[in-house]
Amino acid sequence: MARLQLRINADLVDADAPDHWTLLEVLRYRLGLTGSKQGCDKGDCGACTVLVDGKPWLACLTLAASVQGRAITTIEGLLPAHRRAGGEGADPVQEAFDRCGALQCGFCQPGMMLSARALLNRCPQPTREQIRDALSGNLCRCTGYTQIFEAVESCVAEAVGAKPDLRSWEAQLAERRGKPVTP
Amino acid sequence: MLRLPKFELRTPTTLEQAIEWLEEAGPSALIVAGGTDLVPNMKHELFTPELVVSLAGIAELRGIRRDHDGALSIGAMTSLEEVAANELVRAQAPALAQACSLVAGPQLRSMGTLGGNVMLDTRCQWYNQTYFWRQALGFCMKKDGSLCHVVAGGKNCVAAASNDSAPALMTLGANLEFESAKGARETPIDELWLADGIRNKKLEHGEILTRIRVPPVGTGHRGAYGKLRDRGSIDFPLLGVAVRLDLDSAQRVEHADIVITALAAQPKRISKVVETLRGLEVESPEFASACETVAALAHKQCRPLPNIPGDHDYRREMVPVYVRRTLAAAAARSGPVHHV
Amino acid sequence: MSARDLHGPGAPWGPEAPGAKANADFGVVGKAHRKIDGLAKATGAAVYTDDLQLPGMLHAKTLRSPHAHARVKRVDFTKALALPGVHAAIGGDSMPIKYGVIPWTPDENALAVDKVRFIGDPVAAVAALDEDTANAALKLIEVEYEVLHAYFDPREALARTAPAIHESKKGGNVSKSVQLDFGDVDSALSQAAVVVEDDYTFHGTTHAPIEPHCAVATYSADGLLTLWSATQITHYVHRALSRVLELPPHKIRVIQPCLGGAFGGKSDPFSLEFCVSKLAMLTGRPVKMLWTREEVFYAHRGRHPMQMHYRSGATADGKLLGVDAKILIDGGSYSSFGLVTTYYSGQLLTGPYHFPSYRFDSTRVFTNKPPCGPKRGHGSVQPRFAFEIQLDQLAEKLGLDPLEIRRRNFQGDFTRTVNGQRITSNGFLQCLDEVERASDWRARKGKLPFGRGLGVAGSMYISGTNYPVYPNEMPQAGVQLKVDRSGLVTVFTGGNDIGQGSNSLCAYIVAEELGLKLDQVRVVAADTDLCPVDLGAYSSRVTFMVGNATIDACRKLREQLVAAVAAKWECAAGRVRFIDGLVVDLEDVSRSMSTMEAFQLAETKFDTLGATGSYNTPTLGGDYRGGTIGASPAYSFTAHVVECEVDVETGRITVERVWIAHDCGRAINPMIVAGQMEGSAYMGLAEAVLEDHDINRFGLHKGPSLLDYRIPTSLDTPEFHALIVESLDPEGPYGAKEAGEGPLHPSLPALSNAVYDAVGIRLKHLPFTPAKVLAALREQRAAAKQESTGALARGAR
Repeated sequence: MARLQLRINADLVDADAPDHWTLLEVLRYRLGLTGSKQGCDKGDCGACTVLVDGKPWLACLTLAASVQGRAITTIEGLLPAHRRAGGEGADPVQEAFDRCGALQCGFCQPGMMLSARALLNRCPQPTREQIRDALSGNLCRCTGYTQIFEAVESCVAEAVGAKPDLRSWEAQLAERRGKPVTP
Repeated sequence: MLRLPKFELRTPTTLEQAIEWLEEAGPSALIVAGGTDLVPNMKHELFTPELVVSLAGIAELRGIRRDHDGALSIGAMTSLEEVAANELVRAQAPALAQACSLVAGPQLRSMGTLGGNVMLDTRCQWYNQTYFWRQALGFCMKKDGSLCHVVAGGKNCVAAASNDSAPALMTLGANLEFESAKGARETPIDELWLADGIRNKKLEHGEILTRIRVPPVGTGHRGAYGKLRDRGSIDFPLLGVAVRLDLDSAQRVEHADIVITALAAQPKRISKVVETLRGLEVESPEFASACETVAALAHKQCRPLPNIPGDHDYRREMVPVYVRRTLAAAAARSGPVHHV
Repeated sequence: MSARDLHGPGAPWGPEAPGAKANADFGVVGKAHRKIDGLAKATGAAVYTDDLQLPGMLHAKTLRSPHAHARVKRVDFTKALALPGVHAAIGGDSMPIKYGVIPWTPDENALAVDKVRFIGDPVAAVAALDEDTANAALKLIEVEYEVLHAYFDPREALARTAPAIHESKKGGNVSKSVQLDFGDVDSALSQAAVVVEDDYTFHGTTHAPIEPHCAVATYSADGLLTLWSATQITHYVHRALSRVLELPPHKIRVIQPCLGGAFGGKSDPFSLEFCVSKLAMLTGRPVKMLWTREEVFYAHRGRHPMQMHYRSGATADGKLLGVDAKILIDGGSYSSFGLVTTYYSGQLLTGPYHFPSYRFDSTRVFTNKPPCGPKRGHGSVQPRFAFEIQLDQLAEKLGLDPLEIRRRNFQGDFTRTVNGQRITSNGFLQCLDEVERASDWRARKGKLPFGRGLGVAGSMYISGTNYPVYPNEMPQAGVQLKVDRSGLVTVFTGGNDIGQGSNSLCAYIVAEELGLKLDQVRVVAADTDLCPVDLGAYSSRVTFMVGNATIDACRKLREQLVAAVAAKWECAAGRVRFIDGLVVDLEDVSRSMSTMEAFQLAETKFDTLGATGSYNTPTLGGDYRGGTIGASPAYSFTAHVVECEVDVETGRITVERVWIAHDCGRAINPMIVAGQMEGSAYMGLAEAVLEDHDINRFGLHKGPSLLDYRIPTSLDTPEFHALIVESLDPEGPYGAKEAGEGPLHPSLPALSNAVYDAVGIRLKHLPFTPAKVLAALREQRAAAKQESTGALARGAR
């Protein structure tokens, strides 16, 4: 059993965990930060993605002690960080995912949103291709990814004060009904 | 959750400390770099070390620099993402940058290191499985058993070298620097390999790969990497082709090299490549037709086995296609060759 | 009054009904809204089963069979129980009563009683202080097996009867066999101008939800068992627990926490649910079991492999005359939903096209592989794959455009299928129009450069089923509303939100009916102690049934609210309208109050407020044995056009774009509908080109991981265009039908048809691996060569 000191979100926290525990197990079962999910056991799905020094990182393959001293961001850290910076609501990525229907079962999305957050931090106006590439280590089984791409694009559009393109169904229904379908 | 076996973890901050601990612990100790290969392998109980020494805290093992002799010196703990994006690497070793950009997916490239990728364990569909699965199979000769399920009656393990970086580094004539309690040694990457899938590297216990040195190249250097896989991300190679071309000032081939991975235990250099291409101007029809010849040579020389997932006959059929396309990409200073 | 009495041909949203409501007239319905649990999921606050940590909780693990078929001779726990930290160990004898989701075919045990039937079949379970101790204990359990001959090929399982996989079953290894005839197929086909006869193969795929199965149980000192489980069928799990554990049902509470995807993969009762319950009862402590990804692959219940033979005939102008199908279904080791699968493989093909004669002969056999079950588009994705390719083959022989042959055979709305199913609203023609227009079909089909092609396919699917799994006359869906003085309405529903958004659906409907803001509605779901029964999230039944039940409850409540306000205002009830959190007088705009005040008025006037609502299907189905299986109160319809590129050198198929037109009746939330359409098409295409639930020569799953079972990444997914068609069903809630399963079906055959357009090869055997594509291209070249040699020879003569 080792005493770990980890920088998680805004805090420096202590946790006791055996050496063979992964960061994911420490987060979930020692610290109660259950927003990081476990989907595949071994680095194949991306559901456990956290940020380590701003980079997307798989907590299920990370030996917890090896990231001591580095800045770890979990999904639970995004909203408070946004509020500390004077923002309202949740982090714009979280708001956009919610607004655009990207959250179906929601299980892969904490990891997905952190990958998206890392992308937007280093590249504030990514193309669709860059978005696809940056999210390609996060498997989603519900959405077919389209509404995820749209969420990231909506987030970008919001940041620059532009209106995102109408989505296929949105344009088609609006045409048929003669008025917008999004409130 | 699939659990790791119990071990003690140490996180030294200096190379000396790491070497000392490894020396003390003997063969029951293992080195972990990014953990993207060793951790799943330990979860599969392919390795059950008593001590794991993490290199993550050793700052001197990170970073990319150009040495006085013009060689690129890449710290073994430099992340694959950093290698792929580094301007020096992209200019001087394009095949390496491309290969690193296609390893696994984004998270594994930010965690995984170049040294770790070079030192990757070989892979096989009968081996990279959980203990339960392997037990139900009756195990295999690479771990816990004696039979080979790839080659009936086979005496040698044919698990496949699956590191994307290795063939690129081989075409670049890279040297590997190791340190251990016995001191430092430098070896050409070509001499690292053994034709044994169980242990495909000549390595003493306690040796730590510290740096990868890529010798300088001329202005006519071209390189590209081609990778066959099922998905656009995450997957290991079903075939990896690294190409090097060195052109003279008239765009004629002076030197050429092709190394292919994901076949058997070690990456394979295709013979007679330079003989076929030498003197040809890369935009000429003769070069294009010689590339066809090289592709046919590669096809003749490469025989993928049913070791890793995927139809091995198909993988063989793709050898000439990927050789030709990667040669064309290198000549055109483009690449990587990848389906997405 | 139940919802079935509320609606009918004169439903207020029917297209021809007097006063039909356009979408513009609704406050909430028909518009894109956020989900009520979206931000909880976005911030990591949503609680999934494995997020539960209870004081004193033990961790359980399962010992599984390393043999594909064996008799279990002896299980010895002595050494395992001696390990410090181990609290209990159980084997099959602890729960000998068999269960199965279909009450007619109970053939599963929580842990093997006498035999194991596939590699991975659960044999024993251990509860210990932590997972490591439980794993160590598993290695100490001694099991003695007598290995039996194992069946991996369904044809062998059909031909050979001993050893039988299920000895109690008569007829060797046949799990279920259905032969049904409608009209005289043989004579119809003998009169056909053109007949196509061919073989098609579906290989087998699995759901792979990202959340693995997990269950937690507690057993209180006074004998109440509480189970939290990642299930999509709380009610059936409740019943199965009662049966197997021999507990009265009122001593069991089943709760579904937030669920991380299911797709049909969590719609059986599973071994872990019984094991944690039993272990909690034995130890008196909470027990959790979380399956590894590998174990999820063994639990499976994925799409059945099918070997299909089809023969169809049409007149010279392309009218279908008859369809004749023979299907061999590989069921794997247990029945699961297999009885229904066997029927569905034939029963669900009879739309959106009319054919006057039809016969199918489907046989499901057991093999020693992980058990198959219902995956999104249960039972009908495979036959649809075969038939929609066959339609293209017919069109080609007749020189007809593939889209045109589909139009010509459209069955129409408000009609009956050849097998006696009632069709209500049917927007299939509009679906065809939409994909034709959006894909620029007329200008591009058959005219794209070699290597690029367009393909079309259509389909039909059920919106719920009138077959309630266990026969009973009670409602299929029940909803209860609790009205609070704060202005809040809480909806209690047994419905299982599996990510499709059914909890949000309830909130949208309550907000619509009672004129509330969305944040004035909360939903409590899938808790058997708190919520009225709903049968679960399967057969695309939730929007239709839970939606109708919610409307039913709301209208009863609204009557009281209106009466209370009208009494206060001393006006006619017709003047009182609930809009956006307010109650207004339609004839006197100066007069209004908040809904909170209205709730208080009504509570004062009547009593504590609440209402219940329910839904049951009308009597449906053909008048023959099995005629109710496949009978649905409404059917959804879909058409896809797929655009693909084939690299003829590598054999790789790249799906570039997909236009998905889906008739979901009214799109209650079009954004959620679009998400279901895109997710369905994604899943179908993945089954066509990437995924393969393959069992190797040892009976082992080839790669039970998310590395080797290749589900698409964001780079492997085409561009989707969701095109929503709303045919407004007279019996659906506001005219709504399903959207979660139907839109998967056409993906696979439309892709096959697109590949034919691109390079002229007919892919009939899934999956479409690059190696198969290259082989087909080689065959094509050889045939062309033979043809030209023949032509030369003929020319020389």
